Amino acid sequence: MDYRAGIDIGGTFTDFALFNDATGEVWTHKQLTTPHDPSIAVIEGAARLLQDAGVPIADVATIAHGTTLVTNAVIERKGASVAMVVTRGFADVLDIAYERRYDLFDLRLGFPTPVVPRNLRFEVDERRAYDGAVLRPLANLAALQDRLATAIAQQKVEAVAICLLHSYVNAGHEEEIARWLRETFPGLHVSTSASVFPFMREYERWTTTCLNAYVQPVVDRYLSLIESGLERLGFHGKFFIMSSSGSTLAPALARRFPVRMLESGPAAGALMSARHGRTLGEMQVLSFDMGGTTAKGCIIKGGAPLKTYQIEVAHVHEFKKGSGFPVKIPVIDMIEIGSGGGSLAEIDARGVLRVGPRSAGANPGPVCYGLGGERPTLTDANLILGYLGASSFLGGRMRLNFDGAAAAMGRHVGQATGMDALHAAWGVYDMVCEDVARAFRVHASERGVDYRNCSMIAFGGSGPVLGSRVAHKLKIPRVICPWGAGVMSAFGLLSSPQGFELVRSDRTSLASLAEDTFCEALRKLAAEASAYLEASGAKPGELTHRFALDMRYEGQGYEVEVRLPPGTHLGAAYRSLPESFAAAYQEVFGLSFTGRPVEIVNWKVEAEGPVPGRRAAYHLKHSSRAAAGASKGARAAYFPELGIVQACPVYDRYALVAGDTVDGPALVEENESTCVLLPGDRAVIDRQLNLVIELGAPS
Amino acid sequence: MSRQTFDPITLGILWDRLISIADEIVNSLVRTSFSTNVRESYDLSCVVFDAGGRSLAQGSYSVPSFTGTAPDTLRHMLARFPADTLQEGDVVITNDPWLGTGHLFDINVMQPVFRDGRIVAYVMSITHLPDIGGGGFSATARTVYEEGLCLPVSKLYRAGQVDELLVELIRTNVRVAEETVGDLMANVACTTVGGRMINEFMSEYRIDSLEGLSDQIVQLSEQALRTEICKIPDGIYRNAIDVEGVAGNLHLACAIEVKGDTVHVDFTGTSRCVDVAINVPLCYTRAMVCYSIKVLTTPRIPNNDGSLLPITLSAPEGCVLNPKPPYATGGRHVIGHFITPLMFGALAEAMPDKIQADSGMLNLINVQGTTREGKGVSSIFFCSGGFGALAGKDGAAATPSPSNMTGTPIEVWENLTGLFIEEKSLLPDSGGSGEFRGGLGQRIRMRNDSGHTMTASCIAGRTEFPPRGILGGRDGSRRVVMLNGEVIHPKGRYLLQPGDTMTLLEPGGGGVGDPRQRPREKVQADLALGYISPEAALRDYGYEGQT
Repeated sequence: MDYRAGIDIGGTFTDFALFNDATGEVWTHKQLTTPHDPSIAVIEGAARLLQDAGVPIADVATIAHGTTLVTNAVIERKGASVAMVVTRGFADVLDIAYERRYDLFDLRLGFPTPVVPRNLRFEVDERRAYDGAVLRPLANLAALQDRLATAIAQQKVEAVAICLLHSYVNAGHEEEIARWLRETFPGLHVSTSASVFPFMREYERWTTTCLNAYVQPVVDRYLSLIESGLERLGFHGKFFIMSSSGSTLAPALARRFPVRMLESGPAAGALMSARHGRTLGEMQVLSFDMGGTTAKGCIIKGGAPLKTYQIEVAHVHEFKKGSGFPVKIPVIDMIEIGSGGGSLAEIDARGVLRVGPRSAGANPGPVCYGLGGERPTLTDANLILGYLGASSFLGGRMRLNFDGAAAAMGRHVGQATGMDALHAAWGVYDMVCEDVARAFRVHASERGVDYRNCSMIAFGGSGPVLGSRVAHKLKIPRVICPWGAGVMSAFGLLSSPQGFELVRSDRTSLASLAEDTFCEALRKLAAEASAYLEASGAKPGELTHRFALDMRYEGQGYEVEVRLPPGTHLGAAYRSLPESFAAAYQEVFGLSFTGRPVEIVNWKVEAEGPVPGRRAAYHLKHSSRAAAGASKGARAAYFPELGIVQACPVYDRYALVAGDTVDGPALVEENESTCVLLPGDRAVIDRQLNLVIELGAPS
Repeated sequence: MSRQTFDPITLGILWDRLISIADEIVNSLVRTSFSTNVRESYDLSCVVFDAGGRSLAQGSYSVPSFTGTAPDTLRHMLARFPADTLQEGDVVITNDPWLGTGHLFDINVMQPVFRDGRIVAYVMSITHLPDIGGGGFSATARTVYEEGLCLPVSKLYRAGQVDELLVELIRTNVRVAEETVGDLMANVACTTVGGRMINEFMSEYRIDSLEGLSDQIVQLSEQALRTEICKIPDGIYRNAIDVEGVAGNLHLACAIEVKGDTVHVDFTGTSRCVDVAINVPLCYTRAMVCYSIKVLTTPRIPNNDGSLLPITLSAPEGCVLNPKPPYATGGRHVIGHFITPLMFGALAEAMPDKIQADSGMLNLINVQGTTREGKGVSSIFFCSGGFGALAGKDGAAATPSPSNMTGTPIEVWENLTGLFIEEKSLLPDSGGSGEFRGGLGQRIRMRNDSGHTMTASCIAGRTEFPPRGILGGRDGSRRVVMLNGEVIHPKGRYLLQPGDTMTLLEPGGGGVGDPRQRPREKVQADLALGYISPEAALRDYGYEGQT
């Protein structure tokens, strides 16, 4: 039982990795995703991988799985029919939302339609005060029975979200309703807002809870398919699902809290960056993943991705912040940039160039795909600049139409700007690099991180094409293009520990907080989080806990997260809280105040099992240099530093071996991407076949 | 020195970067600020100017009343302290309502940006301060002298040295000194950050002077606006509305003259200014005029000098939209916000596809007292009526206009104040019927559970004059404010005894177009979801079907 497998579903491919803990050997596999039923590719691919590796499935101890299933269900509105049980007088909180416009000038701004329609929100008689005291007892549940029965029969309701005011302080009424629902309607999925995530602020908590209910039946069916499929193959090990926060959940927990899987897919990529960062001794990393429609970035600090507790999903208005659902879940703190390979280049209302957020998507796609796309995209620019090869794209499986791309670029961008297709393409490419650099700059400065001390790990179809240029703009010294980045995200899954995060909102002034109360509150929270993991098989002795507090100066509206150093004595942590808060505040805002009263707003704990396979050493199977060497000749490419288009050496990524060096300008091709080295850059192939680019001095 | 020019691609990159700098200035301001106005409502603005005083970039988040006031404020500051007398580290401030943004509460803070010993830019930051002394934030003052401390254009810092006397003067005159001085210094800090970022930006792109860049930014923005104005048929478009004052109603009138690529707005016929603090200085009137034109023509063009040039205005001296000192102006937004529906109403026939029907607008209630636990409390409850419909788009429920705020979460409000919210729900039938329906208003019931007497100051309108529908659309419902079931004036100050209940019926937005043209499936959906009643479906929409 020395083997572990990772399976990551992406938009196009499902990726597999198999790892032998004892020997460090890795096998990988990829195959096309089956969108109508993703479990098909998962089961088929798993069987294929094991067969290729010659490993009996009985020897596989664990399988970790990342999936975009939940995100897709929410974005495409393909979740279940959901009803809501809500405190009387507050059924409309979902519509009333923030009472705020996120764009002051665009009168046609849109807001997302709640996933629970107004006629499926059922009010109940009950009310608690802000301190949890019962002001109105829960009564008359039976009155709900007929209405719910009708909703189940006529509107096919499969799940119910129970959302009561102040339930984060006392969940008694929510639990009572949940019990009653389970007894009365045994087939229903039930989510309570206090268990999904007990933050103060009803709109966000209830939205999160409704989304949880919305995807619960979908996730339940999907996991059953995977579990039965794996069982048929003869799998008897443990199966885990990647959560948005970068830890894994046992299926029972994933079924209870499926909303925590919203960012399951991107989390795998971030974890891979974190793992590479640790292996390479890079403690601060910018993880840069650019695919077809969007790019995702995150900061890895001290070997782990930064986390946050709120994201916004399913934007309805041009990726605009404020036009989506706010979701309170533990999640890797990622920036989403609305530009990718398919982003359309256009001249905007100002008369200047803009790329994205509108995208040609996969269909019709970029002009060069020849699938009917007429407007130029970033991928078209990459082809015109010579960064992508017309005959080597996707390992030669898809021929790109250079002339079509150039004509479209000239027509749609060149004419308006008075440039030829080449310079217009350069503009498109440079514009996107600027957008990415700007997004990283803002993200890092908001978190008090000096990005110039970071290295970048670039992956995804377009990441390695832009990585070095973006890094030059950010003045960071090094870009790493991991070997076979696509499948490596499946590999990232393998280094993720089992984990569970809990939060309590309890506003407490530091001045009135006794040491005992403080320690007791955190211990209680830790025990609660551990219980979730122990219920899914984790051993109590193996669990570690990390604590964090959201704190602020009394009267301020922004909280700063204060992380207690791992393993600190709680009493000591209590005594140094004022200093810890001042330091955290200083880091983000550049100043702090003395003598101002401070309060704790949220109490957070992350319980975590051991990180599997801590050993860094691994080696890939099937990597040997072809006799012909790595050179694939040369291709005309444009680098403004050199002034003109000139022949640029092209290398085969798969034929490079550890210790090889490549001097820029150069193009290193792999199946799904090309690593672009700028003039002055020098890349070294390391032992794990990563391409480590040391950036040249700025010209 | 010849000015640099940039191709459309480089220009786009540099322009976006300047806006990003303005946004980062806003971020650093918001995060270090103490006041709710700044944090929750973005009652602020940050602007980057070139050395010639032209505004180049404004932070994307701010409120409409800051559209284009800053260039004038900078001119006044430079008239007092000419550019060639400014030193590195000087910080110039003022809160004069007629030089700044229309009331004493907004502090304007400006720093020149030096590079190699000469001024290359100016950065200005403006926020609504927590307090400025006087009678406090209300509409009750009779003259500006009663409203608090007025700071003429003055130097808060001279070459990096703070004027302790000036700080002490402010500290001594305000109620919440720590917060007020803290916010003032947050403004200073963010303009310093802005200056540093502009210098880095210029180094990175090897730009010696911003003038070439600003020529292009201003010219493109101006051109885009002129092109859109040309699409409005020439003519003079008039409208007049009545709005609720404090003692009696006020009449607002406008004549919008569109001629080629220019717009002139004249407010002749508007009521005289009044002895309460709702007079609107011309700088604020101008901001609302520019904002209203902008949303109708070029909502996607970032704010800069170019978006102001084609627009001029005039208002008779002494009218409520152009009062002179010492008329009081503290609540100028209460009247000033109506400039937007006034102008939209005038242009409805000329731009039927663009115009928004009237919105329900904001309500804010300033509550003071003691919580159940005996802690002092002073908080503002924000809530909003429905958004007006547009051709092709129903209005959103409970969405503010034209200004912006964030509603207060119930759980937060009850936690902070000891007031108990019994209900917060949408008001069916409140949105004006139409082919495109106005957004719904809401019903809020709030009870004093603190065990103590509290005061509640209301600042709202729309109780007599409902949000109007356009092009055949019906009006939205009126606002109603009640205390224990009795209707009360929406701009009064009331005592809430323990157990007293305030009820707010927030107005719905106006509708657009004939309701009988509304697609039947939309009427049916509204009915099924309870946004309209069967009676309204029949009466307004002629819909007899089942839910």
